[in-house]
Amino acid sequence: MSHDNSSPKFLQHHFHDVEQQYETAKLGMWAFILTEVLTFGGLFVAYVVYRSWYPEMFVGANLLLDVNKGLLNTIVLITSSLTMVLAVWAIQKKNQKLSLFMLIATFLFAFMFLGIKYLEYSHKFEVGQLPGEYYSYMGPEIAHLNNPHIFFSIYFIMTGLHGLHVAIGMGLIAWLIYATAKGNLNSEYYTPMEMIGIFWHLVDLIWIYLFPLFYLI
Amino acid sequence: MAENQKQNYLTHPKGIMSWLLTLDHKRIGLMYLFGGIAFFFLGGVLALGMRLELAAPGNDFVSNDTYNNMYTLHGAIMIFLFIIPAIPGALGNILLPLMLGAKDVAFPRLNLASFYIYTVGALFVMYTIISGGVDTGWTFYTPYSTTSTSNVIPMTMGIFVIGFSSILTGLNFIATIHKMRIPGLTWYKLPLFVWALYGTSLVQITATPVIAITMVLLILERLLGIGIFDPALGGDPVLYQHFFWFYSHPAVYIMILPAFGIISEIIPVHSRKKVWGYKFIAFSTLSIAFIGFLVWGHHMFTSGQSVFSQIVFSFITYFVGIPTGVKIFSWMLTMYKGQVSFTPPMLYALSFLFLFTIGGLTGIFLGAVALDIHLHDTYFVVAHFHYVMQGGTIIAFLGGLHHWWPKSMGTMYNQTVANICCLGVFLGFNGTFFPQFLLGLRGMPRRYATYDQQYAELHNYSSFWSGILGLSIFISIMNLLWSLRKNNKLDPGTNPWGGMTLEWTHTTSPPHPHNFEEEPVLEHGPYDYDKVIVEPTFKK
Amino acid sequence: MSEHHITPLKTYLAVAGTLFFLTVVTVWVSYFDFGSFNIVIAMGVATLKASIVALFFMHLLWDDKKNLTMFVMSLMFLGIFITVTLLDTGFRGGVNSEVESPINNRAAFYDSLPLTDTHGHPVDEHSADHHGEGEDHH
Repeated sequence: MSHDNSSPKFLQHHFHDVEQQYETAKLGMWAFILTEVLTFGGLFVAYVVYRSWYPEMFVGANLLLDVNKGLLNTIVLITSSLTMVLAVWAIQKKNQKLSLFMLIATFLFAFMFLGIKYLEYSHKFEVGQLPGEYYSYMGPEIAHLNNPHIFFSIYFIMTGLHGLHVAIGMGLIAWLIYATAKGNLNSEYYTPMEMIGIFWHLVDLIWIYLFPLFYLI
Repeated sequence: MAENQKQNYLTHPKGIMSWLLTLDHKRIGLMYLFGGIAFFFLGGVLALGMRLELAAPGNDFVSNDTYNNMYTLHGAIMIFLFIIPAIPGALGNILLPLMLGAKDVAFPRLNLASFYIYTVGALFVMYTIISGGVDTGWTFYTPYSTTSTSNVIPMTMGIFVIGFSSILTGLNFIATIHKMRIPGLTWYKLPLFVWALYGTSLVQITATPVIAITMVLLILERLLGIGIFDPALGGDPVLYQHFFWFYSHPAVYIMILPAFGIISEIIPVHSRKKVWGYKFIAFSTLSIAFIGFLVWGHHMFTSGQSVFSQIVFSFITYFVGIPTGVKIFSWMLTMYKGQVSFTPPMLYALSFLFLFTIGGLTGIFLGAVALDIHLHDTYFVVAHFHYVMQGGTIIAFLGGLHHWWPKSMGTMYNQTVANICCLGVFLGFNGTFFPQFLLGLRGMPRRYATYDQQYAELHNYSSFWSGILGLSIFISIMNLLWSLRKNNKLDPGTNPWGGMTLEWTHTTSPPHPHNFEEEPVLEHGPYDYDKVIVEPTFKK
Repeated sequence: MSEHHITPLKTYLAVAGTLFFLTVVTVWVSYFDFGSFNIVIAMGVATLKASIVALFFMHLLWDDKKNLTMFVMSLMFLGIFITVTLLDTGFRGGVNSEVESPINNRAAFYDSLPLTDTHGHPVDEHSADHHGEGEDHH
């Protein structure tokens, strides 16, 4: 009935073995990724539909975004993805210290991403490039375009939801730092780190699309 | 082990906290069951209130505004708080691990979390009711939902939250079905209810995220005027309908697929015959789940979408009829030359076949653009979806409840009373909703508290039978609950219907806290009535 | 869990290098105008990057193929959502060209917005002489 004493303490009672528990967690995680893709998917649909209705406005409005900040954020996020896989790699190689270092680096990069995003947002707030009825920017480059507030609505909702995911990811990574430092995660059992890693790469993956959609084209 | 045998999940461990913090899928399933039934009654009372108002023309009992609140809440409560969570959450939770021979679902803590998320969502809905209701209809169509002064935001927040519960349940079930089966239980040896839950879960995780984001956009539209759905701000209200129905049409299959699964279990067991066309039923489940994603626009034939997409949606809609027909014929061929016994679950299954066929066939009428433009938003539509949702899903739910009640509770209800109630439900249902087809054909629009004198007779008839329907359902539930009285326990080895799936053959009624004394070894397929004889056993 | 696939460090570094390179490429390309191909190129590069992230960083290349199926399925349903919605929104003008796109091309609140400079400060109409009248008589 209950598993014998030789099985590791992280094995939950309803699983046969560690392998089954690991594979199950991973499948569940990918099912969750599927829901995330479709959550953002709804917003991508809104983007595509409105872009097809307001092509000039979208091209005009994206010039108001700061490509350099967007590029910097892309690089920051890709780097954080790299440090995240290296954290998993290090713990697989039984190097807990390196893993801890990489997790802290990931956390700091995530913080940096939000910092840059904050600078971008505060500039938009200052000049009145706001979503919906709060929009008030009528600069010469855009005053003649139709309904630019829709572009900024979609921009703020998509990057806002993405930023929320970054913030949630930071919370999860903070927990990983704690668990790794305490030794709860080690080369025998690092499933949570791998799962949160997958989540973190998804955040990166979505930004890979957001960056060209809003800043470049 | 002898003492161990007396333990069952209902009595062990004891104490209120052991229920509230339980990780046991069977207890979580029971909490879903009683939560769902409570909302079923609330939604039912609202329905009866509406029928009372509609018994005669004119505003007899409630004002138009109150009536608007009543149908909105009736729809939202029945769909989001009862039908969608009830079958997967209650019967699915209790049965899925048992049918797989597993000790629990893949993620027990997530399972408990999704129940509490459901509870939080329900609190939002309760708050909406207390603070004055909402009058947009359960579909929250823009632009009315962005301008209405009623409590749209708490209600949509509630739906947003309940969506997460649905997603987590679906995710959990998918991982469970893939990874928690006992060795030897291959895909084609799974009970068909498991296939149905698998299809349901796939739809839950793919469609539900979209309703979540839709509700967020709707709330933001109200708070900030983002202009995506608001025509005055350059947006498009029809786009809202696309977003809404991308979820809500597949959600129809979230509601009906588990019902199909229940019927696929009840019919072979109570006909004592191997199910006909196992693979047909299994794959028709998956193809319904898939086709369900391609037909959402048939809810929008009068909304102003492009003619081109109307034709495409209408065309694809007919394809839903194929796998559904395959199922109906497979069930009928299963009964053919079987030993059909008219037990309460089987009576419900037979009612289902009859009612769902009417619901499905009228759905084909509505899938034709030309006819739908005439019938859109009339009582014809109301009757159609009640034949599918109540005549299909709720009847199957009641059937499943009667089928697995002895398994999950270890008691047997009064079968005569149950049979009479089933007859009452069947007659009451047809009496209530068949006249509504005629009302719709004659042009009676839905969602009005009053109507012209010419519709009075049929409305009156419908209202009378709705009372019979409500009473029958009430008594049948009370009959189930009455069986829980003291000294009514069944022998733990009872298998009253002679079921062949693992939950009947390898564990006690009610099951052991860890489901099985030891891991079951598969001896035969789920419906091998041609190879093995499993006698029904029934003793107190 | 020692039997799990451990990706060599070199692979990760090469993957990250490729991602940085593609990021620079997509920004560089955006300064040229290829007309309607701008979107195709940008999305093509983004998809290449996303595939690399999914296959290597998210381990889909080495994983149980069920996980890959799950991910591909999410993209397929997203594809259905986009395509089928466009079947409506892209073809509305077929019968009545007035409803081809949203009717209200300029929301009412724009009429009461003053023109601004690039810092969002309102400019008074005398200095904004390059603009026509009738925009801000409020």
